[in-house]
Amino acid sequence: MKSLLDRLVSVMNNFGTVVRFTVMNKLKAKPFIISTIVFLLIISVVVNLPYIIMQFQGGGSDKVQTIGYIQDGAAPGSTTAQQLQQYFEAVEGSRLQLKSFPSSGDAAADEKTLRDALNNGELYSYLQFGEMTDSGFPEVIVKSEKLLDDSISNQIEAALHIIRQSNVLAQSGLSEQQLNELQAPIVVEAVQIKGSMSGEDGDSAISAAEQGVNMGIIYFLIIFLFMAVMISGQMIASEVTAEKSSRVMEVLITSVSPLTSMFGKITGMFLIVLIQLASYIAVALLNISLPHNAEMLQGLSIDLSVVDPMLIIFAILYFLFGFFLFATLYAALGSIVSRTEDLGSAVMPMTFISLAGFYIAIFSIATPDSMLVKICSHIPLFSPFVMILRAGLTNIPTWEVFVSLGILVVTIYLAVVFSAKIYRTGVLMYGKRPSFKELRKAMKAYKI
Amino acid sequence: MNPLVVNNVVKQYADKTAVSGVQFEVSKGEIYGLLGANGAGKTTTMRMILGLIYPDQGEIRYNGKPYSNELLKNIGYLPEERGLYPKIKVSEQLIYLAQLKGMSAKDADKSLKYWLERFEVPENYSKRVEELSKGNQQKIQFISAVIHNPQFIIMDEAFSGLDPVNVELLKATVKELRDNGASIVFSTHRMEHVEELCRNITILHRSKEVIKGGVKEIKSKFPKEKVFLQTKQEVKGLEQLAGVKVIHRHEHGLEIEIAEEKVASHILNHALSQSEIEHFQVKEPTLNEIFIRSVGERNE
Repeated sequence: MKSLLDRLVSVMNNFGTVVRFTVMNKLKAKPFIISTIVFLLIISVVVNLPYIIMQFQGGGSDKVQTIGYIQDGAAPGSTTAQQLQQYFEAVEGSRLQLKSFPSSGDAAADEKTLRDALNNGELYSYLQFGEMTDSGFPEVIVKSEKLLDDSISNQIEAALHIIRQSNVLAQSGLSEQQLNELQAPIVVEAVQIKGSMSGEDGDSAISAAEQGVNMGIIYFLIIFLFMAVMISGQMIASEVTAEKSSRVMEVLITSVSPLTSMFGKITGMFLIVLIQLASYIAVALLNISLPHNAEMLQGLSIDLSVVDPMLIIFAILYFLFGFFLFATLYAALGSIVSRTEDLGSAVMPMTFISLAGFYIAIFSIATPDSMLVKICSHIPLFSPFVMILRAGLTNIPTWEVFVSLGILVVTIYLAVVFSAKIYRTGVLMYGKRPSFKELRKAMKAYKI
Repeated sequence: MNPLVVNNVVKQYADKTAVSGVQFEVSKGEIYGLLGANGAGKTTTMRMILGLIYPDQGEIRYNGKPYSNELLKNIGYLPEERGLYPKIKVSEQLIYLAQLKGMSAKDADKSLKYWLERFEVPENYSKRVEELSKGNQQKIQFISAVIHNPQFIIMDEAFSGLDPVNVELLKATVKELRDNGASIVFSTHRMEHVEELCRNITILHRSKEVIKGGVKEIKSKFPKEKVFLQTKQEVKGLEQLAGVKVIHRHEHGLEIEIAEEKVASHILNHALSQSEIEHFQVKEPTLNEIFIRSVGERNE
């Protein structure tokens, strides 16, 4: 009994030593530090991008844009333009205003007048009117030097809609009350019925706010898991290959059992990825909370208190399990390659699988109850991405989550046994990348 | 019972036998030489002793007990190819390796400093391995094998890549480890090192033992087939003596290959009759010659 305890202590000591060594070396490595800092800078820029863009427009968004037109008493276009002018004057804070120019009677001269005004900056764009259409208005042509500037034509179109509506309504002889009734907003609220997830029967509805937050969290979780897997998977595999190609592996396996060293490395990388991602998130949050971004933050209106605690627990479990499943497989793949150049092709299948899981989840976020999602939420390598979607957005029986978790745990166990074998065999094999058959032969030969 | 017993081990890889029936014992304070051409099975034998792979048949016992993970702390391994982290400081990686062998960081640091001092390279303590010369890397590799003062040391080509001065330094160290009671298994292609260091040897050829035993006995079993003769005047008619095969004329004397040992006395008598003799020696075969004969001839 005592010797068993001693052994456990010595294994844990070695495990701790490997974890510490992995973490310290990674944190001190220049490429790691530089790439992290670069990424932090990119995040800072992206978060502040809306503000920066606004600054570059030089407050232009507040400036009133003037649109010219020709006032020619008889033409139908002039009536329409006058109506628009009145409409935009009536709207408070409108950024558009119309300005009339007297007609000279000659179309070409009129256009020249407008164009001159445009060129000297008096006008932003100008209107011309074509044939009368069925809409009751003549065809409106917006001329501007700026290409594809939809916002002006959209605003004019919207204004004309309202003008026409009020014209028609005014002629219909409806009472004021009837007019108000017509214009009163219609309220539609989507309420999702909650199932056994929370176990609370009393309040069985997921409010729209809660669903919105859930969706945001799920987006976040899926991307977080995906990044963790991609970053650390590559790092783990390349660390293992580097140890093999520098032959330090031969010394290592005579010092520490392969299993301990593999899990030490995986755990070390897990900590590294957490540190890295946490610093990304911290910097993003810091930037968002800067005073000039306060408006944006309010617009998001995040209230984390509405999140179901079960969802958080499931999310943590799936994150941990998903991470370790991918990490062990990446370690195994890294161990069969003896040169870093061959690593890319060896880990390709894992990269595709994680990409597939990620995209299935992201593209199904609007249809979380499709058959594809239901099936994938039980397939081990996909379930960490997909099940979280179902758990957060649909009414799913808790037992189904546990079945999927159970499948995942069994798979992890098998993957650990399998990866440990490959690892033990792989680290002794040098030369070209062995085929699966060669690997199996070697496993048998080494009696692993 | 000897600390390390390799008992009739057999290792088969798929369609090829790597080691077939190798058997030897290493006592306390002994360096055992494992010799053989490339691919003869030395590395596989060493890997089995290290517990990296298990023998198909036979067994290896350490202090009378079979292999267990406990043993890792008691084994030091110097691999044939250098195996160190190129971008990590010497101190960091050696302390790491020593910690994995169960040492405390403090003891490991002390031991590392002692060894660096011993090898006259204390300035390497905080250098990265990739900055070091090949010989210095080899010293660091050597330290990584012995820093934790192991009972069993496996050395695969310990002195490759070193200049003669450093070879002497490491040789002296290996002898000291032996005198402190370590059991050392040693492989090399340099026969003069074997003659100097090893008490017993095994020569492997194509997975089998071809020669085994004490270096002295092995040599005495091989017939002495060379005579060195240095005389004042020239000796004539040696070619006509029965049993003389070839005569090589060197700057200071003659090297004569003979068919059997007793021909030597005929040569001496013949020479005495013609001249005063300055030097006469019946030469022992060198291990090099024994190796080439036992491995080379079977190659044909």
